[in-house]
Amino acid sequence: MKYAPPFHHSNGLFPVLVALAVLLVLPLVFTDTYVRHILILVFVYAILASSWDLSLGYGGVFNFAHIAFFAIGLYAYGIGAKIVGIDPWIMILLAPAVAVAFAALLAMPILRLEGIYVILVTIAAAQLVLKIVVSQSDFTGGTSGMVMLPRLTMGDYRLTSDGRIGYYYVALALLGLSTIFLYKLERSALGRAIKALRDNKYYAISRGVSESRIRLFTLCASAVLPGMAGAFYGSYVRVASPDVFGLTFLTLILSVLLVGGVSTIWGPIIAAFVVTIFAEVLAEYGAWRDIIIALVIIGVVLVYPGGLFAGLQELWDFADSRKTALIAAWRRRFRSASRAALMGSGDRMISTSHGDISVFDTGPGPGKPALLFIHGNSSCKEAFHNQVKAFSEKYRIVAFDLPGHGVSRNCDPRADYGYEAYAKIAAEIVEKLELGKPAVFGWSLGGYVALEYAVSGYPISALAICGTSPLGTYPDDMPAAYIASPHMELAGKRFHSWKEKRTYAAKTVPSGAPNAELVRQSVWRTDGRAREQTVAKMKTVDWPRQIRLLREGAVPFAMINGTEDPFINHDYCAAFGYANIWRGSPQNVDGGGHAPFLANPDEFNRVLGAFLEEGGSASEQ
Amino acid sequence: MAFDTFVFILVSGIVLGGLYALMAVGLAVVWTTLDVFNFAHGAFVALGAYVAWQVTQFAPGPQGFVFATLAATIFMFVVGFLLHFCLIKPFERSPNIVLLAVITTLAASSIMESSIQLIWGPREKQIEAAVSGRFEFFGAGIGANDLLALVVALAALAGLALFLRRTSTGRAMRAAAQNREAAELMGFNVAILFAVALGIAAATAALAGAFIGSLRFINPTFGADPLMKALVVVIFGGVANFTSPIYAAFILGIIESFSIYYLGLYWAPAVLFALMIAVLIVKPEGLFGNRQKTL
Repeated sequence: MKYAPPFHHSNGLFPVLVALAVLLVLPLVFTDTYVRHILILVFVYAILASSWDLSLGYGGVFNFAHIAFFAIGLYAYGIGAKIVGIDPWIMILLAPAVAVAFAALLAMPILRLEGIYVILVTIAAAQLVLKIVVSQSDFTGGTSGMVMLPRLTMGDYRLTSDGRIGYYYVALALLGLSTIFLYKLERSALGRAIKALRDNKYYAISRGVSESRIRLFTLCASAVLPGMAGAFYGSYVRVASPDVFGLTFLTLILSVLLVGGVSTIWGPIIAAFVVTIFAEVLAEYGAWRDIIIALVIIGVVLVYPGGLFAGLQELWDFADSRKTALIAAWRRRFRSASRAALMGSGDRMISTSHGDISVFDTGPGPGKPALLFIHGNSSCKEAFHNQVKAFSEKYRIVAFDLPGHGVSRNCDPRADYGYEAYAKIAAEIVEKLELGKPAVFGWSLGGYVALEYAVSGYPISALAICGTSPLGTYPDDMPAAYIASPHMELAGKRFHSWKEKRTYAAKTVPSGAPNAELVRQSVWRTDGRAREQTVAKMKTVDWPRQIRLLREGAVPFAMINGTEDPFINHDYCAAFGYANIWRGSPQNVDGGGHAPFLANPDEFNRVLGAFLEEGGSASEQ
Repeated sequence: MAFDTFVFILVSGIVLGGLYALMAVGLAVVWTTLDVFNFAHGAFVALGAYVAWQVTQFAPGPQGFVFATLAATIFMFVVGFLLHFCLIKPFERSPNIVLLAVITTLAASSIMESSIQLIWGPREKQIEAAVSGRFEFFGAGIGANDLLALVVALAALAGLALFLRRTSTGRAMRAAAQNREAAELMGFNVAILFAVALGIAAATAALAGAFIGSLRFINPTFGADPLMKALVVVIFGGVANFTSPIYAAFILGIIESFSIYYLGLYWAPAVLFALMIAVLIVKPEGLFGNRQKTL
């Protein structure tokens, strides 16, 4: 199942709305014709580059005749509107059909070709069209081109009037339409087929994706927008010259695409602004301008192959991790009282080899065995506040915030966010607080951490997990172990939109339930990179080692799940074949979702308490 | 058609073929060794021609032309050698090398053309030819300079063939082209060999540029046309072997001569491109190609 939220639920909504609003207002601020002219060019280049991305980036078809689609649209407009005399507006709709027809013809020779040959054939095809255009000087004006093409009018109103404001809004509308078209297409089944052919051609074909049909479709779909842009451009500059076939123009659009970032829709649009405005600023330097632009292009692909969009994402990433770090710092500093009220006593920071960790500890007492709690993905140690109250009479309770969670600090994603690192942190806390051989309870992601802790040979007397399906092999066991849902995608998603944060929290504890706010706030604080890393690192965990531990039964083991857990597959958990599972099978707590210890604490505490009594004594025998 | 017209068209086709061969062979050398398509090849031709023109300004006359051609060839060899480390080497491990090389070579081409414009200005120039006059050849008049271009092109190609087949450096280059990893394991410095390949490509381009400059006018962007011709030649012939683009160049030169005569100046290039696309549909590895690439 692919998680694909609609655009208005994604992180992109707000920036796009702001950009759109700015672009709508901009011509009212800049009444200068020149500024509007530059912006119209920017829109045309953005359409050209982003639609090129469909074949070049998403499709992996190195189609260098893309600019020829534009040129064909331009000449089709010129011939149709000027010589045949068709209405300009109708020609803007007809020109793409001519470009698509050419694209369909072009698809034939390149179906059998790969990589660089596609580049050469498409360049040759574009040159062929150029030569034909130049040779038909009766219709096309030959090398000098066509001039005085009809302009667009609305009734009696010329779109060039009032400082070209009509053309500005038509161009903006075209860019908007083009972006919606590409966005929808990229996320459709066809778009997935296009990307599948690029990423693993033979696998895609074996799964029933027809290479020839999809390639034909890719080329035709990518020709629609440049064809239309070409016709619009013809109506705007009113000249069709063979220069648009040249390598110079192709280099310009290609640089927009590469500077923006291949395989992104937004990158080329942003880059169209940057490159065009940059080029205009340097316009007075003549040949130096071309040298500088070429050097910038080489520099970008050399130093920053992901382009501007990757740069923006990194910027966003940096801002997001700073934001979560700030929230954590603020809560550490000012919200310690409310945490202490919830847990009964305060927490403190302990520095470990994987960063500074916030640890809660009820303190040692005579004859009190230690009980260590490890929380789940995007949660915090306060999730166990019900257990602290119930068990602190008999046990020394220790709980900690994983790095990037709760009030612990954000850490280095690669080194500190991962199962081994989390298990090591737990072991260091056990050692520093002199907990001896604690019983370990792990929830969800924490369950895997607890398993990793146990198999790493760290001291442990009993192991209980909740909301965690033991895995034999990854990712093969995932479909059986978990119930597929968009939530699984959110668990490893770095940036959550506001809506996604809410959805994610509500899956753990339904909104409106007593602890919903606690869970929601901890999702809000969690470093997105921790989510991304822990899910990504599921590939690197030695799962068979964990399974051996459970099948050999060296550690007393209990599994306590909520009956209505929305994620884990109860049948899978029950049929796993454990050697030494407490009461012979996973225990289910009624009324508990993914977090039964929050939703139904009394029942859960009874079960966990019984295990700690019986399981602990069983191990001593 | 009279016999002398036929001979004239044939000979001018062969002369054209010689120049095309010289331009295409550099493209083919880069393609087979570095596995990228060099879009700066046209700019190499243009830059070589301008360097040669500059030298003839100091040293006029036939000796000056010889000197200028040598100077341009050596200069462009150095340029090509150095450009390998800027344009191709940084990306050689990238999965997108094909696309990245296209954009870097296009950018380099833009830099070279703009530099030419900055240094020599946009006005058209012509290099003073080494020889003038015409030969009578089966009743058809052939320019002596045309003939010299053909002879030098053939000599350069023969020299290149000798270099690649008989010298140790040439053999090392062929080894690196055939199996890069194996060549590295044998202790060859593949980066240097690849740089030499790009240098050779630039040097042959300069030689072609000097002769084109003596046959017609040059301007900063005139390299685009030779590039397209070389592209057609390379695809038409395939790059399976060092010699296949050379045969293709002569075939295409003759075809172009005849189609100019019969179809006119404007339709001739269209015929070439259509022919090339037809060859690719039927035999994507080129007319003389096979699937295996060797230098």
